[in-house]
Amino acid sequence: MEIKDILEKLTSANGVSGDEGEAARTAADILSAYMPVKIEKSGNVVGFLKGEGPIIMLEAHLDQIGLVVTNIDKSGFIRFTKCGGADIRVLPAANVTVIGKDKKEIDGIVISTPPHLSKDEDRKKFKSLDELAIDVGLSCEEASKIISPGDRVVYKKSFGSLMNGRLYGTSFDDRAGVASVLRAVDLIKDKKLGCSLCVLFATLEETTGGGAAVGAFSEQPDESISVDVSFADSPGVPEHKTGKLGGGVMIGIAPTLDSEISNKLIEIARAKNIKYQTEVMGGHTSTNADKISVSGKGVKTGLLSVPLRNMHSAVEVLEIDDIEAVAQLMAEYVL
Amino acid sequence: MLDLLRQMSEIISASGKEKCLRDFIIERIKPHAEYEVDPLGNLLVFKKGKNRAKNKVMLAAHIDEVGIIVCFAEKSGFLRFATVGGIDPKVLLGREIVFENGVKGVTGLAPVHLLKEDEKNKAPEISDLYIDIGANSDTEALNAVPLGTTGTFAQKLEEFGDGLVAGRALDDRIGAAIMLDLIRSETEYDLTLAFTVQEEVGARGAAAAAFSIAPDYAIVLEATTAADIIDVPEHKQVCKLKNGAAVSFMDNSTVYPMELYELALKVAEDNGIKAQPKAAVAGGNDSGSIHKSGKGVRTITLSVPCRYIHSQNCVSAVSDIYETRALAEKLGYTFANA
Repeated sequence: MEIKDILEKLTSANGVSGDEGEAARTAADILSAYMPVKIEKSGNVVGFLKGEGPIIMLEAHLDQIGLVVTNIDKSGFIRFTKCGGADIRVLPAANVTVIGKDKKEIDGIVISTPPHLSKDEDRKKFKSLDELAIDVGLSCEEASKIISPGDRVVYKKSFGSLMNGRLYGTSFDDRAGVASVLRAVDLIKDKKLGCSLCVLFATLEETTGGGAAVGAFSEQPDESISVDVSFADSPGVPEHKTGKLGGGVMIGIAPTLDSEISNKLIEIARAKNIKYQTEVMGGHTSTNADKISVSGKGVKTGLLSVPLRNMHSAVEVLEIDDIEAVAQLMAEYVL
Repeated sequence: MLDLLRQMSEIISASGKEKCLRDFIIERIKPHAEYEVDPLGNLLVFKKGKNRAKNKVMLAAHIDEVGIIVCFAEKSGFLRFATVGGIDPKVLLGREIVFENGVKGVTGLAPVHLLKEDEKNKAPEISDLYIDIGANSDTEALNAVPLGTTGTFAQKLEEFGDGLVAGRALDDRIGAAIMLDLIRSETEYDLTLAFTVQEEVGARGAAAAAFSIAPDYAIVLEATTAADIIDVPEHKQVCKLKNGAAVSFMDNSTVYPMELYELALKVAEDNGIKAQPKAAVAGGNDSGSIHKSGKGVRTITLSVPCRYIHSQNCVSAVSDIYETRALAEKLGYTFANA
């Protein structure tokens, strides 16, 4: 399966933090072609392939940011709050999908205030979260039949192509990571591994990090490599805080990561001619690597990232070749 | 009529670039009426009715829409743009954009994680915004999307909620769909219908159209702000979805003759058509140009209430579109025979 097709399939599944079932089943289904797979009580997807040597875990998170319904107003409009770090700047007039009763998808539009109602000072800022609501075009009575507090809300799915093998869409954070792990597994199929391979697709990264914590504790790997997305170059973003889109896999270097693993990843990338760039962070990585490394008796952990523009919006942008580079580097690491 | 509305909503028609939509309409009116295209690009249609009209009545709807126009390419390949007509920058972040030549892009934004606290809710200026088409250089970007190319939100019309439609440019595809439907049906009286250009950049096409046609009466068909949304007090809601055609007494470009305003509401009542006052002095439309044209034109505006106007998701009620069509037809005949 092509990376683009895997990514499209993965992003077509809903999986807001805490409600990852559909995303989990989709990822597990693809992974099961390569190894025995189970979906844990935690919602995590775990695959295991026995080999000779230490247990190496490849991890990416299943969940995506979204919104969560808090109340249905008597006017029929739906109040909500964030579920993970949604960006309020993309919300006015945005298309969203409410995952309602029996997982029925209901079209919604986030309200935006007509200019004639805005005072001058309001025009300069976005409405705060508690002033926003979702219009589903239904009365309170009708809406209440199919929507309840706790229901998750996603940006309406999009998936499209730009120039130069770039794609835009929703939930690339972190389905791009899941796709790269699946691609790595495909690259090593039928090859002799120098380790036992564990794959973890973790829930809850965007909220509590609980999925990775319990997943790593359960599997007790000797080493772990996480794949997440990181910031790519774009106007208005400092160059020193971003990687380059199309610049290859971003290899993480940070106090919370194992420096030997980071160095080994760089060496392999050089030796195998895999396009890479380094990403240096001063403390936490703000990824599951932070949770996995302190799980149980501690796990030596590395971090690879796919450069991504417009993170946490409905039009995240990435380059397919960067996913391929992440996959190749992971494959070489476990061989 | 909804099918026509859906098809017209898929055509990109930013102000000044209305040819595609105009051609679409011409194809569909040819067997039903005579027409001409004036030097500005207005489509003027002469519909023969069963009876001759005592007064010349013009219906008008604009066929342009708000959009964006490419002004500059950064060395890195990102495109800078201006808006065509009024779009609030706050509804432009993180959107799929489609250009008139079919190229796709997205409006980008710095990741929220890297923003300082005071930047997280700060509205951008249009000049801060950019479109990413995936290009690696200015040359590559401009080869795909030359300067002056227009574009808009990549959003199709969809059924929404209970009896509503949501999509881009309902302002004023709704008016155009009503007129197109009228032209394709049998009318009681002769009517002139102007599909006007450049409304969103100052009601410019309508000035020329009204001059050429020199009608006695004009009915402008529009979509107007409905603020019947949560937390907006009743007195600021302007008009409400599902309450019928909104009839204007005054807006920012026109003071309508009171007798026409009252007549419109009476014709509605007499014919069992749902109508409501546009209960605010806000916005403006082609009436601003038409009522002052030549020796003067008696002008009224009938609007379909529309939430979130000028965004990628205008929301209107299907029933209001039909009520507005019915009132436009009855009022047109009343003027024709006055």
